[in-house]
Amino acid sequence: MRKTSCADSTGLRALPARTIVRAIADAAGRWADADFPPRVRATAAIGERLGYTTPVVDYALDRLFRGITSDALTAAITGELGSLDILDGFAERNGRPAAWARGTNAVTIVSSDTTIGVAIVPLVFALAAKCAVTVKDRTDALVAAFVETLGEERPELRAATDVRAWSGGDDDIEVQTLGDADVVVAFGGNEALRSIRARCAPDATFIPFGHRASAGYLTAAALAGDTVALAAGVARDALLYDGDGCLSLHLLFVERTSDGAHERFVDTLAAACAANAVEFPAGPRKPARAARVGAYAAAAAFRSANGTGRVLRAPDGTWTIVADPPADDLPPFGGGVIPIVFVDGVAGAAAYVGRHALPLQALGVASVDDARELAVALGGVRIAPFGHMQDPPLAGHHGGRARIADFIRWVDRA
Amino acid sequence: MNEDYRAQADALDARIRTAIADFALDEPAFDALACDVFAHQFRWNAPYAAYARSLGVSENALPRTAGAIPAVPGEAFKDAALCTVAPERAALWFETSGTTQARSGRHYLESPALYEAALLAGFDRALLADGASLRYAMLVPDPRERPHSSLGYMMATIARERGAGEAGWYLHDERLELPRLTAGVAHAQADGVAVCVATTAFALVALLDELAASGRRLPLPPGSRVMETGGFKGRTRIVGREELYARAAEAFAIDESAIVAEYGMTELSSQYYDSPASRWSAIRIKLPVPWLRPIVVDVAGNPLADGSVGAIRHIDCANRSSAVAIQTEDLGVITADGLLLLGREEGAALRGCSLDAEDLLRR
Repeated sequence: MRKTSCADSTGLRALPARTIVRAIADAAGRWADADFPPRVRATAAIGERLGYTTPVVDYALDRLFRGITSDALTAAITGELGSLDILDGFAERNGRPAAWARGTNAVTIVSSDTTIGVAIVPLVFALAAKCAVTVKDRTDALVAAFVETLGEERPELRAATDVRAWSGGDDDIEVQTLGDADVVVAFGGNEALRSIRARCAPDATFIPFGHRASAGYLTAAALAGDTVALAAGVARDALLYDGDGCLSLHLLFVERTSDGAHERFVDTLAAACAANAVEFPAGPRKPARAARVGAYAAAAAFRSANGTGRVLRAPDGTWTIVADPPADDLPPFGGGVIPIVFVDGVAGAAAYVGRHALPLQALGVASVDDARELAVALGGVRIAPFGHMQDPPLAGHHGGRARIADFIRWVDRA
Repeated sequence: MNEDYRAQADALDARIRTAIADFALDEPAFDALACDVFAHQFRWNAPYAAYARSLGVSENALPRTAGAIPAVPGEAFKDAALCTVAPERAALWFETSGTTQARSGRHYLESPALYEAALLAGFDRALLADGASLRYAMLVPDPRERPHSSLGYMMATIARERGAGEAGWYLHDERLELPRLTAGVAHAQADGVAVCVATTAFALVALLDELAASGRRLPLPPGSRVMETGGFKGRTRIVGREELYARAAEAFAIDESAIVAEYGMTELSSQYYDSPASRWSAIRIKLPVPWLRPIVVDVAGNPLADGSVGAIRHIDCANRSSAVAIQTEDLGVITADGLLLLGREEGAALRGCSLDAEDLLRR
């Protein structure tokens, strides 16, 4: 049996799952209030760390904490495990042996530097499973602050959580937190994930969330409707968090139309981007990213001047729309850039995605009626209406994976 | 050939060659020459002119300072033939590898004369200021295999014009030929000739790794030196400059100050080198040749004050037949001593929910 050093789930295991879920939801409810003092402090710290403005951070924290409700947690757990009570002990199951969804002993979460609070959702599900959890926190200490609130609701939750802000290369901590965990949740690129996986125990469950891109697909039929609302949704999906999330829209496919509506949509989108920049002002961009985005925009402007494609850009570079980029070019992935690839149908989009081997995470659409066809053609694990790509419901899956099932081991009573 | 064009081009080439020969060009003269080169390109280089027009330049509103010249992004070389003559009339073309994209482009040059004069003058000042006659050991692309590599062409020209004995090319199909290199160095040692190892950073790492794996060194003859260029674009193994130079100095039995970094681009005709004063320092400062100037710009392309971090724009007057102003993604700071190169964000990266895991391993 492995055990992390500071997180102790003994008390938590004595609590009914319903009590835990209620306590988590109550803590999240307090954090859903923008005036809650720990949230105010965290908002400032997150803004300082990531360079996002307060409206952007507030939007993210609203979406995060308002989604963590008792109903949503219960729905997710019940959907995956069959019931909430099954986390407390054996439960009878129709036609199957009685089973107990027993939380693993130790979970380690190595979270995100580019997004806000990505560790919190796996944390609350691991706690609901009664695991001892170690989380690598960021300099904004958001996770640590939330855990303090959890502890105010139930001290057992604080005791079961060890939030650390260690530096990479600290072998003692890494060997312990990665090597001793039964489950490791990690976010990052392939190289980093491979290295983390190598440090995990042989029988540990490794849950990698690798780098992903997200795209939108706009049909010709949709262009005949309310394009202003569609454009507002696209702009929000692409520009919020400067396109830094795996659920951010990094690329938009637009079907060509015989009446030029696809071309006109570019202008509609530009207006939406300008409006979005007012609602969610952009913060300062790092010089390296600014240079890369500037070069991409300049190359598009050069092509446009020579008769190929269009580029529309905010004077301060906050957003950039590049219509009809070369098919061989990768999108720049974020930085306020929305490359628009005109296609004659889903097959054209699939060819682009295939050419670049893009691992799609989310797909934004005007109507979810086409979800299955698009998922088959383009891949992706989340299909959402424009404007909601980065707002995944808690009761849904995360990156195509279960929310809580990876944190438990089934004990059958035959 | 249009007579107007020829007269204008020849006159400009003569002015540039004078600057090269003098190895001097003061600020007003640089502005004047750069603006005249641009005006020439505005007339004869149609894609560049179209781009400049889209930015508000016209025959009646031509730039009056180098900083006001519209800079073409490096990627533009993939989308158009940026040349004042038809591409088929260009004497040379070099293939640009680009940065983040799969497509390649071409830098066309009307004649090799200006290109060679510019590169030789820069190299002479940076690496041959003591008048040394060196034998060249090349860990850069062999022009016989990659005739459109600007780096290979540059080093072949230097070896041909300045070399003491036949240069050795020891990198083939990206594989290092260590036994031949070792023999070449031994031969130079026996001849009493100092060696210049011209190498990309990645090839240097490969060489040092191979030497280390066999527990060997490769002492160079007295007076030898290393010209390092490139970087680690697209490579999985990245080694810090300080570590690399320390290892190279130890392996070659030379002083670290004998390692000089060159900073250039296929899209340029001229190069930067480590300033002599900074070669003993942990922070190397790049000096341009007099007919090349860096400008650091913000995201909107506006020049920044010295000391500010921004994207580097090169104004290279020797690019007379292509594009005089090139915008890069490289970050830098202009200091009182020269250009501090800060590198770039490596490639377009998929955005994950996290960079944290990478921090965990790299910090």
